[in-house]
Amino acid sequence: MNGNGKKKKIGVFVCHCGVNIAGVVDVERVAKELEGYEGVEFSTNYVYMCSEPGQKMILDEIKEKELDSIIIAACSPTLHEKTFQNVAELAGLNPYQIEIANIREQNSWVHADKERATKKAIKIVKSMVEKVLQNENLEPIQVGVSRRALVIGGGISGIQAALDIADHGYEVLLVEKNPSIGGHMIQLSETFPTLDCSQCIMTPKMVEASRHPKIKILTYHEVDSISGFVGNFKAKIRKKPRYVDADACTLCGDCEEVCPQVVPDEFNMGLSFRKAIYLPFPQAVPGTYTLDIENCLGLLPIRCGKCKDVCDVNAIDYDEEEEIFEEEVGAVVVATGYDLYTMDHLGEYGGEKYEDVVNGLEFERILSASGPTGGVVRRPSDGKIPKNVVFIQCCGSRDTEHHNPYCSKICCMYTAKHAMLYKHRVPDGNATVFYIDVRTGGKAFEEFYQRTIEEDSVLYMRGKVSKVYKEGDKLIVLGVDTLTGQKVEMEADMVVLAMSMVKTEGIEELLKKLKIATDANGWLAEAHPKLRPVESLNAGFFLAGCAHGPKDIPETVSQASAAAAKVGDLFAQDVLYHAPTIVPVIEELCSGCGICVTMCPYGARELDPIRKVVKVNEVLCEGCGACAAACPSGAAQQRNQTDNQIFSMVKAILKG
Amino acid sequence: MFEPQIMCFLCKWCTYAGADLAGTSRKQYAPNTVNLRVMCSSRIDPQHILYAFKEGADGVFIGGCHPGDCHYVEGNYKTLRRTVLFRQMLEDFGINKNRLRLEWISAAEGQKFVDTMNEFTEQIRVLGPLNLENVALTNEGVSHE
Amino acid sequence: MRLHYYPGCTLKDKTTNLDDSTREAMKILGYELVEPEGWTCCGAEFPLTEEKIVGLTAPTRILRQVELEGGDKVVTTCAFCFNVLKRTNEALHRDPLKRKRINAYLKDDIKIEPLSKKKTTDFPEYSGHVWVLHLMEFIRNTVGYDHVRSLIKRDLKGLKVAPYYGCRLLRPAEEVGIDMPDNPHIFEEFLENLGCQVVDFPFKQECCGSYLSASLPNAATEASYQVLRSAKLNGADMLALSCPLCYYNLDRRQDRIQEKYLDFNGFPVLFFTQLLAWALGAEEKILGLDQHYYDPRPALGITDKAEVVS
Repeated sequence: MNGNGKKKKIGVFVCHCGVNIAGVVDVERVAKELEGYEGVEFSTNYVYMCSEPGQKMILDEIKEKELDSIIIAACSPTLHEKTFQNVAELAGLNPYQIEIANIREQNSWVHADKERATKKAIKIVKSMVEKVLQNENLEPIQVGVSRRALVIGGGISGIQAALDIADHGYEVLLVEKNPSIGGHMIQLSETFPTLDCSQCIMTPKMVEASRHPKIKILTYHEVDSISGFVGNFKAKIRKKPRYVDADACTLCGDCEEVCPQVVPDEFNMGLSFRKAIYLPFPQAVPGTYTLDIENCLGLLPIRCGKCKDVCDVNAIDYDEEEEIFEEEVGAVVVATGYDLYTMDHLGEYGGEKYEDVVNGLEFERILSASGPTGGVVRRPSDGKIPKNVVFIQCCGSRDTEHHNPYCSKICCMYTAKHAMLYKHRVPDGNATVFYIDVRTGGKAFEEFYQRTIEEDSVLYMRGKVSKVYKEGDKLIVLGVDTLTGQKVEMEADMVVLAMSMVKTEGIEELLKKLKIATDANGWLAEAHPKLRPVESLNAGFFLAGCAHGPKDIPETVSQASAAAAKVGDLFAQDVLYHAPTIVPVIEELCSGCGICVTMCPYGARELDPIRKVVKVNEVLCEGCGACAAACPSGAAQQRNQTDNQIFSMVKAILKG
Repeated sequence: MFEPQIMCFLCKWCTYAGADLAGTSRKQYAPNTVNLRVMCSSRIDPQHILYAFKEGADGVFIGGCHPGDCHYVEGNYKTLRRTVLFRQMLEDFGINKNRLRLEWISAAEGQKFVDTMNEFTEQIRVLGPLNLENVALTNEGVSHE
Repeated sequence: MRLHYYPGCTLKDKTTNLDDSTREAMKILGYELVEPEGWTCCGAEFPLTEEKIVGLTAPTRILRQVELEGGDKVVTTCAFCFNVLKRTNEALHRDPLKRKRINAYLKDDIKIEPLSKKKTTDFPEYSGHVWVLHLMEFIRNTVGYDHVRSLIKRDLKGLKVAPYYGCRLLRPAEEVGIDMPDNPHIFEEFLENLGCQVVDFPFKQECCGSYLSASLPNAATEASYQVLRSAKLNGADMLALSCPLCYYNLDRRQDRIQEKYLDFNGFPVLFFTQLLAWALGAEEKILGLDQHYYDPRPALGITDKAEVVS
């Protein structure tokens, strides 16, 4: 039956494909066998169906014989399904009334026995006739698009993605959990391979983002949950109380002076202190103080209240409360960045025990002109300038037994940078780098690394370090030089560990709520590792930056722009089209058991608690059919691949 | 000589494409199998398999993507679980469980498709025709491992 | 309370004072140490070689005997034996097929009484369910430090002790480790509860040289020297040990160390059960301090005057 309940009139067109099919399969016999088969109105054969005359023939026959569905017995549907669907549409047929019978790749090209190949071809064509007999007319599902993007994470990747999307003309919400955007890049001193001052290249972007009319920056905010589907998300965002009015704050700093609470400064990696009411760093965006409630003595006047008393512009408000609000967005870019593997994982290097064993970010702050030492390289324990610095690469990465198996990508380059900058500032000092390999794959990276060796005389020692311990006021480094096969025992004033990049702490919770897949190491999973690196398998979610895996700044910026472009693709559609071959629910048959709900990897099915039947979100359903196979009552039937269709096809194949 | 009839359910993204690749490479295999394309191997219900046996299939083959590669994230894992359980049930019915085979064949593994088809055809040939009417009476050679 | 105890060869032969002090200490704590009948050498290194079946039969036999005698756990003070027994147990636990094969191999066991010549055969299979514990773990988990502290008779007056773990107690971490290999605490806790002042030093998990003292004595000498030197440099009065082989290298072989390193003047070392027994009020002669190469008596505050036990 066709869509109107009338008996179907199917046209069967068997292609010779020159001799590719006809050389093995008796195409005339196939066409003849199909004449008179149930539903078949017309059956013929032709030398090249996909050619112009072939297509014209199909068009003419459809019109003349008033066919409402056609079977093309020819090459694989992967080649010409679209072609023939277009032909049929020209003739006014629904594209889902065209089916291709693959009698070339899966028949004539792989079998030599002509008789058996012909018999098989007949079976194949008959099975496709059975399918199309029960095919419904289907229209692609249309859904509106909310042209607003949500970017989670305000580091360089989030900022870049936000800027690009906003420049397209779309509104962007940039949510950042810390009091200021900037991420880790703003903590860096200089960046490789150009030795650009990191803050100099980043602050313009931060300011641009803050001034952009289409970007709304929400710092000290966190994303609680996201519901909905692509083009139609509802994001619940939580505003943490800052207790300071960002617009009113003049950055005068009086509050900071009087605050009695002193805590380690996270921005300086614990190498200096800040107050409970603080400005994370001078170029913070937004430029406002923030009251860290965890370390504040208390908001009641009896506890303290000094900062509020001193604020001339009344920017401090102790009554500020947490707020949760909902925003509608069409696409989400996840740009949540990375953290460093903590040094307590490598007890043998003494990172937690000895102050003078530091990680890469701590060293960046020491090198930074705005850091705790004003850019002079001093060691944390006694402030002396170290004359012997040992750098250890691959700390916690490339280690399948105990730590992270992957390569942390940026460490070889930033270690070379650290060694080079150290030598620039302490020319009579000695820098030694213990390495396994030196990986310098990016543009101008190899030349940069060679400068370190040739111009700055950094000693590169191939070998791992087994132990770092303190004797007196010197650190002893026990390592090996594999190229000479000798054990090495070195004295150092300071040791810098290139700790592995790891997923952001606590990110699993957020990602579970967003239902975004991660790989075994906690990095976001891309839709395809080679061909779709910035999309996730969840439609509408895009990935950018180190949240996806260790990468350097040039790659991060590229990826962020790519994600923004994909968001642009999405928003450029008037409506979103979605394949209609989904699995709806026949409510009369549904018993509300809920088995199909658990089957769906896309969360497209939901059990209505009142009516006790399952509802399907047609836009989320990708049409895999897993639920259809699991449904005990047959209430879940895939459109145009129902159980009856499969049974009919199987029967035609085995008995035809 | 007994020519087995084998019903093959292939997933569109991997095994069907692998079968196409075997075709474009002109590799030859036994013509005993006929393919039915599904979007995902997880669409296949034990009902479909039993129906195939009922309608005259001597063997049933399911082809899906390698674990981790399923286009629909985890469909192949579902297929795996169902197939493992169902093979046991087939034994209980008295049908040799080796008449149902599940194989992971990717779009690049044209040769593997060919080898599997040939191998499976021979395996079914050795098992002989499945006479469902006689299955309860003749012990169908249920294998003990 | 009865407790199965596996002493190992070294404790019964070269270092009997360690065995004595262990028994005495546990007696004071209320445990009677019972050795599994007819125990053999655990094999030391060899059960952990590539050949995974025959090499594991000796340890399995020991565990089987413990199980036969109704024990569900066995404690040992020798870190080597602990390492071997525990890893054997883990291997049998994880791989039922291996357990089956070893049990099949051991089925042919015949035990002959040396005097009565009575034969015993048909031993039951080892199920894999005996817990293997190092005595330090046992004291922390079962006996409890509170109980130990309540029985302390001698005030160690804040004796500065450096805990030396050696290698076998902590590694491999997944199979054996009684604590984190790079940041362990268990020995420190033990010593603190005895009333000592713990001295941390960077070489506390470095190898003492182990069996190399037989084949490559120079390497063992250097390794042991580094350990003792580091302990001394960081202010310890004494080194506390957890393995009789380390005891051998770090005490009995101090003669070789002194020959090679002229700045080394000797350093007292004590086994952890000797310290335990001493704190619990055992008599000096049970500790067998005269068997030490370097006399630890001055460090323990023992003079020739009669001492007062509170």
